[in-house]
Amino acid sequence: MMVPISYNLRSLWVRKSATLLTVFGIGATVAVVAGVLALQQGFERLYSENGREDLAVFLRPGATNEGDSQFRREQAEILQKSLPEIAQNEQGEPLASQECFLAVRRYKLDGGETNVPIRGVQQQTFEIRAGEVSVTEGRTFTPGSDEVIVGEKLAGRIRGAAVGEVIVLNTTPFQVVGILASDGPFASEIWGDLDRMLEALERPNANRVIAQLKDGTDFTALTARIESDKQVPAKLLTEREYLTGQTEILSMILRFLGVFLGAIMGIAAVFTATNTMLSAIASRTREIGILLASGFRPFPIFLSFVFESLVLGLIGGLVGCLMVLPINGIETGTTNFQTFTEVAFAFRVTPYVLTRAVLFALVLGLIGGALPALLASRLSPTEALRRV
Amino acid sequence: MDLFRLVWRNLSRHWLRSFLTVASLVVALFLLLTLRTFLTGLESATAAARSDRLWVQSAVSLFVQLPLNYPEKIEAVEGVEQACKWQWFGGYYQDPNKFFAQFAVEPKKLLEMYPEVNIIEGSADDFLTGRQSAIIGRALADKFDWKVGERVPLTGALFPHPDGIDTPWEFDIVGIYVPTKSTLDSNTMFFHWDLFQETREQAGMDVNVGAIVVKTEGGANQTAVMRTIDEMFENGPQRVQTTTEAEFNAQFVSMFGNVPFFVNTIGMGVLFAILLACVNTMLMAAREQVHDVGILKSLGFGNGSIFTVMLTQSLLLCGLGGGLGILLALATESAFGDLTATFLPIYNIVPDTVMLGVGITLAVGLIAGLYPAWRSSRLEPVNALKAGA
Repeated sequence: MMVPISYNLRSLWVRKSATLLTVFGIGATVAVVAGVLALQQGFERLYSENGREDLAVFLRPGATNEGDSQFRREQAEILQKSLPEIAQNEQGEPLASQECFLAVRRYKLDGGETNVPIRGVQQQTFEIRAGEVSVTEGRTFTPGSDEVIVGEKLAGRIRGAAVGEVIVLNTTPFQVVGILASDGPFASEIWGDLDRMLEALERPNANRVIAQLKDGTDFTALTARIESDKQVPAKLLTEREYLTGQTEILSMILRFLGVFLGAIMGIAAVFTATNTMLSAIASRTREIGILLASGFRPFPIFLSFVFESLVLGLIGGLVGCLMVLPINGIETGTTNFQTFTEVAFAFRVTPYVLTRAVLFALVLGLIGGALPALLASRLSPTEALRRV
Repeated sequence: MDLFRLVWRNLSRHWLRSFLTVASLVVALFLLLTLRTFLTGLESATAAARSDRLWVQSAVSLFVQLPLNYPEKIEAVEGVEQACKWQWFGGYYQDPNKFFAQFAVEPKKLLEMYPEVNIIEGSADDFLTGRQSAIIGRALADKFDWKVGERVPLTGALFPHPDGIDTPWEFDIVGIYVPTKSTLDSNTMFFHWDLFQETREQAGMDVNVGAIVVKTEGGANQTAVMRTIDEMFENGPQRVQTTTEAEFNAQFVSMFGNVPFFVNTIGMGVLFAILLACVNTMLMAAREQVHDVGILKSLGFGNGSIFTVMLTQSLLLCGLGGGLGILLALATESAFGDLTATFLPIYNIVPDTVMLGVGITLAVGLIAGLYPAWRSSRLEPVNALKAGA
C-alpha cells in the first residue's frame, strides 16, 4: 500500500519556512548553473547555427583563422575564378569574394579597450550573404569609397560607431554610413570596401576567399584537390566548420565552468536538502511510527519521503528557472581569445537550458532525499511511537 | 565554560546535520575563494606592472606590426634608455592545441630590462650567445617535460618556416627561469630576435616588429616620453600608441569584457544559497532546542546566556566550515594554477582574499544565528517546557 501523496505535500506546507529556505537554496544553485549554460548556448549558437554548409572558406595552408591567413591578390583571384564548383550569379560571374580581416583597437563607450573585427569585402559578398545580412539604418557603403557600415551590436558599445561618425584606420578616416544587421557574428563587425581598407592599412594581401558552392559539390574531393594544388594550394573548410573551430576553446571553457559550478554548488545544495529532509523526518518520527504501526511497509515509506524531496527539488528547479528567465536576451560581450576579437552575444535561456535546469534540481532532490528516506523507512515502529 | 559545553553537545547531538552544514560551507567558501582568485589574478597583472617600462604598439591593431627602424628612432628620444623588440611568434608544439606564448626578443636587452627573470637552470650566457637558444618558464618546462639542452621543434602558425609550413622552427632550450615578480609569467618562451629576422630575410620575406618595450631613464618624465613617441609617428607610416606597462596589461583585462561581472554574480549566487542553508540549519536547531531552553530558563539562565548559546552554535558551525573551506582553497592553489595556466597567467590567493573569506564566514555565522538566537532568548519558560523534547 502506498503512502498518500497528499501526506507529503501537506507536510511541506506545514513546514513553510524550512521548505522555502531549501527551495530558494536549490533555486539559487540552479539559477547559477542555468545562467552559465544560457551563456554557452548563446555563444555557441551564434556561430554554429549561422555557419553555412554550402559556403567554402579558403585559407592559407596551415592557418587556423582568417587573421593568420594570407593570399596574394592574384592568388586569391585564381581561386575565385578558376574553380568550376563555384556557383554563379545571373550574369555568369562566380559567387566568390576576397575578404580582408583585422581586429582593430577600439574604445568601448563604458571605458576600456577592445578589439573589433573589420572586414573588407568585395561586392560579391553581399550577393553570397543576401539572406544573412541587411542594412537597417542609413545605406550600404559605396564601392571604392572610404565608407563603412557597422554591425548593430557594436553601435551601442563602441565609440564613434553611429551613423554619421568617423572611424579612423591608421591615418585614413572612414565615414560610417549604415548599420549592418545579422543574426550571426557579422553583427559584431565593421564592413567596408576591400581595396580601400587594404590601402588604408597598408596591407598588400587578402586574408581569405569565400565562395558559394554549386549544389551537390563533393566537398571532400574539392578539399583534397585544392590542398595539393600546385598553383595556389589552400586549406578548405565549410563555413560551419570554420566558425565552430573558432569558438572551440571559449565554448569549452564555458561548458567546463558550468559543470564545475554545477558539481560544486550541487554538493552544497544536496547537503542542504538532506538537512531539511532529516529535520522533517525527525519532527515526524511519531507520525512515521503510526504509519508503520498501521501497516505501511518500509519501502512505500522510503518512496514517500524520496517523493517529498523530489517535490522540493522540482519547486527549487522551477524557482531557479524563474530567477534565470529575466537574463534571456541580455546582450553581453567578451573576447574570443582564439581570434583576439570582441564578440557580442546574448544569453539564451532555451528549452534545452530549462530542461537541464529542472533535471539538475530533481537530481539534487533525489540525492538529498535518499539518505533521510532510508533512515525513516528503517525506524522501528515501537521506538518511533514512544517519541513524544 | 559550561555554556560552551552545551553548545558543543547541541552540535554533536545532531552530528549528521552539523557535518552536512559544515561540509556545504567548506564547498561554498572554497568556491568563493577560487572565483575571487580568478578576478584578483586578472587584476594583479595590472597592479604588478613596473613603472619604468613603456609599451609601444600599433595604434591600429594588436595585429599590425611596426616598421623595423622604429626601435632605433625611439632610442634616440630623450629619457629613453633602451628599446627592445618583441614579436609574438604564435607557434605551437606538435598540434595546435599545444600552444603557449613565445616571443622573439633581444636577449641582452630582455635580461637588462627584466631583472625579474631569474634563471634557475642553465645559464644566461648561453642564452646570449647561441643563435637558436631560448629560455622557458618553469611552468612550461614542467608542462612539456622539457630539459635544458633539449632541442624543441615548434610549428609557426603565424610565421610559417620559409621552407614550408610543415618545417618546424627549432629552438635549443638553454635556460629555465622563474619570475621573481608577478609581472612576468612562467608559461612563456623567449628566443632570439636575430634568428627570427635572419630566417625570414634569407627567404626574402618582409620583417616588421610587433611591439617595442621601452625602458626609461631614472627620473625621466614618462608622460613626456610617451607623448614624444606617439607624436613622432603621428603621420605614419604606422601610428603608434605608447602606454605604461600597467595600461598595457589593463587592455588585456579589459578584453575580458563582462567576465568579471559574471564571476561576481556567480559568487553572489553561491553566497545567497549558502546563507539560506545556514539559516535553515540554525532555525531547525532552534526549533528542536525549545524544550532545552525552557529547562535552562527555569534553572535561572537569563536571556543573554540563551542568546549567547544559540549564536555561538551558529558561529562555531560556520567558523569550522568556512575555515576548512579556506584551507581547501589554499591547498588546491597550485593545482588550480596549473589548470588555468593557459588563459590566466597568475593564480595566487592573496591575503585580501583570505580575509574576505574570513569576513564572509563570520557574517554568515552571525546572520544565520541572530534571528534564531533572538527568538530562543525570548521564549517563555512555561511555554517552552510544554514543547516536545
